Formats: sequence, structure tokens, C-alpha cells
Amino acid sequence: MTTEEILNRLRATRAWRSIFRRGPARTNRTRSLAIFGNVFLHLLPVKVREQSLRVRATYYLGTISFFMFVVLTLTGILLMFYYHPAVPQAYLDMKDLRFVVSNGVFLRNMHRVAAHIMVIAVFWHMFHVFYRGGYRPPHEFNWAIGVVLLLLTLLLSYTGYLLPWDQLAFWAITVGTNILSAAPFAGPQLRYLLLGGNLVGENALLRFYVLHCVILPLLAALLIGVHFWRVRKDGGLTLRENHERDKK
Amino acid sequence: MSETKNRFEAGIGSNALKTPERVVFITPKTSAQVKEKADRQLMSYPQLMLREVIAFEVLTILLVIVSLVWDAPLEQLANPLLTPNPAKAPWYFLGLQELLHYFPPLVAGIVIPTLVVVALVVIPYFNVNIKGEPLWAGDRSRRFLIFMVSVGLLLVFLGLYRAWTVLVPTVAIAGLTIVSFFQLKRPYRLISFLQTRPLSWWVMTWFIAVSLTLTVVGTFFRGPGWSWVWPWR
Amino acid sequence: MTDVLARAIAGRPEESERGEIGRRDFFNAITAGAFGIAGLGALVVTYRYLLPNALFEPSMNFRAGTPDLYPLDSVTYMPDQQVYIVRTGDGLYAVSAVCTHLGCNTQWKPEAGLIACPCHGSKFKSDGTKVEGPAPRSLPHFAITLTPDGELLVDKLETIKAGQALRV
Repeated sequence: MTTEEILNRLRATRAWRSIFRRGPARTNRTRSLAIFGNVFLHLLPVKVREQSLRVRATYYLGTISFFMFVVLTLTGILLMFYYHPAVPQAYLDMKDLRFVVSNGVFLRNMHRVAAHIMVIAVFWHMFHVFYRGGYRPPHEFNWAIGVVLLLLTLLLSYTGYLLPWDQLAFWAITVGTNILSAAPFAGPQLRYLLLGGNLVGENALLRFYVLHCVILPLLAALLIGVHFWRVRKDGGLTLRENHERDKK
Repeated sequence: MSETKNRFEAGIGSNALKTPERVVFITPKTSAQVKEKADRQLMSYPQLMLREVIAFEVLTILLVIVSLVWDAPLEQLANPLLTPNPAKAPWYFLGLQELLHYFPPLVAGIVIPTLVVVALVVIPYFNVNIKGEPLWAGDRSRRFLIFMVSVGLLLVFLGLYRAWTVLVPTVAIAGLTIVSFFQLKRPYRLISFLQTRPLSWWVMTWFIAVSLTLTVVGTFFRGPGWSWVWPWR
Repeated sequence: MTDVLARAIAGRPEESERGEIGRRDFFNAITAGAFGIAGLGALVVTYRYLLPNALFEPSMNFRAGTPDLYPLDSVTYMPDQQVYIVRTGDGLYAVSAVCTHLGCNTQWKPEAGLIACPCHGSKFKSDGTKVEGPAPRSLPHFAITLTPDGELLVDKLETIKAGQALRV
């Protein structure tokens, strides 16, 4: 039997059809079902405007930001298997990852590079949306969510920065939290809450670890979902032509 | 609707049912014209999904190549008793650290970032210049005067604090704005482009220029004791 | 429910003929209040939970040996405690080595006769007075006393005004 015949027979089985309900995506109906019949994909619209797919329209900056987030989550989870958020074990684990763990260096590099790219992409995405006019009504709330996502990205990067527990990490966080204590009224109290004490020590490392691996990623994932939803509900991506039309 | 003659007013709202997101502006004494048809629509599966998959693959390949070539740094074990010189924040905060060099921590570390975030969030809620009028539309000389006075005050303030890293890009952008004011006989394409830019465009461009300069200086031009160094030394 | 809340906040619940609050509004208001109190309580409990009561940080007071360990006009850096023991003609000071700008460790530069901070270039005299740089204040002095058995005791939790030297 040819491969196609085997596959067709497989697809005809009850087991297969109980999982994949729509059949091959060869008609517009089944193509629609591929999107809104899927629990993950039905956040997206079934149809998109042709212009919004062009690279020049958005440079795919939002896509890049999102994919970097996905890569960071995956590499981050893998890195968690060899990391103990304790002093000085954290630093020894970093050495382990570099010299002992197979592909440890590679994974850590991916995590770091993806983090840098994500920060750049998020900033660039924001500026590009601004210059396109994608913040104008009815997109105002989505723009606000985007700003919050930018802050979350920076916070994720900042909390992650402490985790290697090397000189670079320790002093960068010392300076940052000292700036925080300059805030009026609640500054020193906020610093105490963030560090879990008066000094940057093991409590701080553990808190930053929980923030970096649990709290902030969950918040970011939730808001990314809202962000995509709002793009769709507000009428799709904003493209330059829509707002430049009335200039002449 | 109204019993008087056809008058359209600029209306903006957040309810996409009541005010559709494509707002049409009609100049007085003309009639509404349809300038474009609705865009062609494609099926998300496979058109969008395929492009996303390709984008993901390209990005992954780039990531892998860079990760194989460049190593993330790891310095010595954290030592609370020994401060490295200079002690630098991650690169995306170096702009802020450079700003800290000129202004007290409360201002540079708390006030300015908070103001920036609030300003960003608030941008779309102020329906100023929804048509995107160029900066020099309307009363040109009056606008030019207001512009020069504001920029002058800002430059004096920056000079008093000796915040050169902020002052230089401000001067550069202000220079461009001034150039865009003059109506030349046969301007370059760049200048005619600049002449159409609204105030919000200029403010954002100034913001980006200042942030970039601060970050680049903080990354490459600052050495021990936050002193000025030339990066090629 | 929000209109009930709005009316309750405005002080105008749904009135019956006798001017009393209606049963539905009453129960809605009680429920909302109960949830509000529970929610507020949860927040307060979580906040208190997050602030540690016991810290495993090094002790904030220490002994620094006998005064004759410190010669006249000397500045001795105690690295574990981040304190300078300074002896001048007036007596002994305990000066904090933590820069008042952003918390970096300063260094004593004997050739320049100054305490210098590597982070942003702040400079201080040996008694902590700020000479230049972005630091907002001079380096604080800690309380320094003599124990009954003749040793110096520095308490980092207690700052004293500059100029009060321990005379020995």
C-alpha cells in the first residue's frame, strides 16, 4: 500500500476521528474549523486581511516577541532542572551547566540571546505600533495592555538577571533595589518586601526565582492572551494605509 | 438624524459597533467618496499559520546559530564585600543608569520612569490631533515661537544639570524640527516627509533619540567610576 | 448588583413605603460587604506573610578590638562589616563604607586621602564628609563605645552625628 493509502486508512479509524474531528483542511469550511475548532488556535480569527500578512506591514515584530517568549519558557523550564535557587549553590549550578551538563552551555546561551531579542523586539514593536497609529481608538486599551507587557518583559529580564548569582548579577540588583528605596513613602518597605530582608541575600534570590519562573510568566501569558484577543476584537491589525489615507 | 444639511463631525469612540474603527473624514462642501475597497481576506489556516511557522523556524535557526557562537557571560561568585568598578546594570537599564549620573535617584530612578510609563499609557486617551495634522499647520509663526520657547527652556534646564547626554540628541531633533519649518523651493524628500509630521511624531522621535543615546553612552562610553571613556581604548 | 452597590454607596437604598431598605438590596449589600472584608483580609494576611520576621543576616553590631590597634590619623577598613575605623586627634569614629548614593562599597585611597566610590565617582573625606559626586549625603557615623573590658563596640543600627568622636 502506498503511504497515502495507509494514512487515509489511519484517518478513517474511530480513534483518529475522535481526536481530529474536522477531516482534511481542503475546503474553506474545514479550514475554518482548523482555527475555531481548536482550543488553542480559536483565539485567532478565521480570516485575516491579506495586507496584514505582508512583512513590511508589521515586520512581524509582535510575532517575534511572542515566539521569543515561547523559546524563553521552554529553555527556562529545561534550565530549571539543574538550578537550585540557593546561595552559593546557584553559582555552582551555573558552572555545572557550563562544564558538566550536556548542551548546558547551548541552552543557557539560547535563553540569554532570546531574552535580549525579546526586550529589543518588544520595544521596537511598541514604537512601530505607535508610528502606525495602532493605539488610536478603539485600540486604546490594547495599547495600555501592551505597555504593561513591556514592563513585565523588563521585570522578567531583571529578575532573571540575579539568578546566576555572580558579581554582575549581585551588583546590578543591589543598585536597582537601592533606587527602589528612593521611592517616596513606601520605598524602603517595598525594598524589604522584594528582597525579603535588608540585604541582597538568599531570601532575595528565592523571591526573584519565584517571580521569574512563576508569577511574572503567568501574568505575561494571561496578558498576551488578552492582547491577542483585543487585536482581533478591535478589528484586526492596524495597517499604515488605514490611518494615512486621510492625510492628503 | 439631523434635519440640517449633511454635516459630518469627527467622532471617536471605543464601541466598535457604534463607531466603526475606520473613521471617514469629510471635508466641508464635498461628498463622501469611497477611496478603497475592503481588503481581500485570506483563511488563517493555512495562510497565516504557514507564515507564523516559517517565522518561528527562521527565528529558531538564528537563535541557534548565535547561541553556538556567543557565550553568555559568567563572572566570579557574588561577593557583597567587593564592588566591581564599574558596577553596571543590564543594558536595557544602562540608559537609566546614565540618567542617574545627572539627576538624583528619586528623579532619575522613580519620577522619570513613572512619568514615561504614565505618558505612554495615556497617549491614546487624549484625542489631540486625531487627523494627524503636521506640526506647522495652522498659525505657523505662533507655533514656531511656542516651539522655540519650550525647547529653549528645556535646553536651559538640561544645561543647568549638565545633562549633556540628554542635551545633545535634544538639540539634534530640535534642529530637524526647525529645518522642517522652512518652506524650501525644492526640498529633499526627507525634508518634505518631515514637514508632514505631527507633534506626536516629533515627541516620540525625540524620546527614542534620547533613550538610544543614553543607552549607547551608558554601554560603551562609561568606565570605572562612571567616568567618560572612549570605547576603542 | 452594581446598581445596588451604587445606591448603597450613595446612601439611597431602594425604599419601601415605610422608608426602609428592601430585602433584596439588604442581602446583596451584606454579601458584597462580606466578600469585600474577606478579600481585604486575604490581602492583608498575604502581605504580612511576605514580610519575613526572622532574618539570617550577619549581626549588626561587632567588636573591633582595643583602641591601640588603631594608630593616630589612620583609616582602617573592616571588610566583613563595611565600616571604616578612623582615628584622628579627636578620637575614634566608625564611618559607614556603604556609599549613600546607591549602596556600592567604597574604597579608601590613602594616596589621595579620600574615600572613593567606584560606581559613580562619589568622593568623601576620611570623616565621611562628601567632597564630590552624585551621592546626596555624607557617609553616616555609627555609634562607637568602649566595653567594660576595654574593647571597641560598633553598633550599625545606631547612627550618630558626625563630629562625636570616642575619646580614648
